Amino acid sequence: MSKYSTEELSAMVEPTRYHRKLFVDEDIFDLEMERIYGRAWIYIGHESQVKNPGDYVTTRIGVKNPVVMVRDGNGKDIHVLHNRCGHKGATVVNRECGNVTRFRCNFHGWTFRTDGKLVGTPHATGYQDCGFDRNNPQYNMPGVSRQGEYRGFIFASLSEEGPELETFLGEVKSSFDNMVERSPEGRLELVGKGFRYVKNSNWKAFMDNLDDAMHPMVTHQSVGEACEDYLREMGEVSDPKLKKIVEILNPFISSYEFFDEMGVTTCAYGNGWTGGEASIHSEYDEIPGYRKLLVEAYGEEKARRILSVNRHNTIVYPCMTLKGAIQNIRVVRPVSVNKSIIESYSFRPVGAPEELLQRNILYSNLVNSPASLVGNDDAEMYERLQLGLQDEAGDWMDTHRYLNRDKEVKPGVFTAPGTSDLSFRNMYKAWKEYMMQEAA
Amino acid sequence: MTSVVTSLPELKEIEDFLYLEASYLDRADLDNWLDLYTEDCTYWMPLDEDQDDPLNHASIMYENRDLMEIRKRNLKNQWAPSKHYKVRSTHIISNIRIQDRCEVSGDCTVTSQFLALMRYKTNHLFGGAYRHELKRVDDSYRIRYKRVTLVDCDAPLETIIMYL
Repeated sequence: MSKYSTEELSAMVEPTRYHRKLFVDEDIFDLEMERIYGRAWIYIGHESQVKNPGDYVTTRIGVKNPVVMVRDGNGKDIHVLHNRCGHKGATVVNRECGNVTRFRCNFHGWTFRTDGKLVGTPHATGYQDCGFDRNNPQYNMPGVSRQGEYRGFIFASLSEEGPELETFLGEVKSSFDNMVERSPEGRLELVGKGFRYVKNSNWKAFMDNLDDAMHPMVTHQSVGEACEDYLREMGEVSDPKLKKIVEILNPFISSYEFFDEMGVTTCAYGNGWTGGEASIHSEYDEIPGYRKLLVEAYGEEKARRILSVNRHNTIVYPCMTLKGAIQNIRVVRPVSVNKSIIESYSFRPVGAPEELLQRNILYSNLVNSPASLVGNDDAEMYERLQLGLQDEAGDWMDTHRYLNRDKEVKPGVFTAPGTSDLSFRNMYKAWKEYMMQEAA
Repeated sequence: MTSVVTSLPELKEIEDFLYLEASYLDRADLDNWLDLYTEDCTYWMPLDEDQDDPLNHASIMYENRDLMEIRKRNLKNQWAPSKHYKVRSTHIISNIRIQDRCEVSGDCTVTSQFLALMRYKTNHLFGGAYRHELKRVDDSYRIRYKRVTLVDCDAPLETIIMYL
């Protein structure tokens, strides 16, 4: 029985504010894992991580559900399985990635096909005439309730109910499309290892921050100023390496007007994005030869359209964000009410000049690394939320900005000036919808 | 011409230089610290222990002089919320080995192991391997390249606020 009734949960989100308990109450965190992470489409991995038959990667959904994504022995299908032995329940796969013909539990040697079916139980005579049925699916490594794929990105849901993946993604499919089409071959490959940045804050602190365009010029003011101080001392900047650094860091302190102009868009299930043609990525120098490759692949008009989409952060609520323009995704793995791990992965746009990937990597080092000048200040502010919100002196977090200034540009799709709190309101509306549904 | 150095005076001189660098890091004194580096220097903290490509794969830090100068200025900027706390550390360096030394120029490559306890809000323990490429300048050295391979470089990591 939940500590909170649906009425109480409902009362914690109002149109222009949400309750501090959402960030500090452990019971609410547990309920979120059950009702949000246990239902929504959660990002698992990218198909390029499991290219060959038997390739696998492990991760988890929410806190309590270790899973493994594996390419079937047939080389075609990808399965997302609960990483749990059907015998006594131990996790079966314990490396981050690898390749297998069969999964074998190291406890009592039960073996499983790459689709999770139990195929081997050692010393089989012990199971004769005792009612044990090896074909009973309860002994398999079970597949997740639902899995789906969009343009190479694999998602899973622990609930039988709910929208199909493409319905869930809705308008944000276009952000994935743009990211994929930035490759002249329409293909992305995940590059090596990603950052895993431990932030001492609730998972929603990260999600809230993504499309919060009122924070960069304050939280990251020092980064822009440090750049400017140095450039002033240097005089004219001609060094191409320094130019690349500056074009990545300086837009973080763009004006309020710039971020307003950039716009914010929201759609169903808490999803949305900031930026459009303009964003912190839109003034990057053109990579030599890149446009030509896109024109050859897609034609003049479509190449122009692909390069004109420069969205900032696209939100796939509750677990991930992507940046099409720089082929990067970040994934939130909640740990506890006040701890989360933010994973960051860069993708190689196959067929594009190497210099494009190298700039994406530079961006990621500068912004997403645990040693990032930008990310350190975000992490610090999230932590301060955790500290301040414990205090019962006030109960609410405010979301009034640009209320009633949204335009409905398509049914269910809204836009507003970029510094609107629209994205917050949209995510907490989704939060409420998930949390109001009690367990089936 | 290169040779493996075994003679004590040279080893002692290099040890002292590494300790000097560590002493600046211990006090978070990036002004003096950065003066130990050459203009064309590289500071690299890879994300993977065997990483050999800093350009096409993410790194915890992969910085040239420009970035180090920017980071140094950011550290002092009053508007950096993550920099509102005193940073102190204590570096212990050991297992110092001169891997390579040019007898003509005096330039050398030195590997060592380190442990650093860093106070930044709470205590953080870092450990790993250093690789220094040192350029002989006058009667001392400048660091042309430093690689810091953390033992837990590819693990989930909290904020790393300071060079190691």
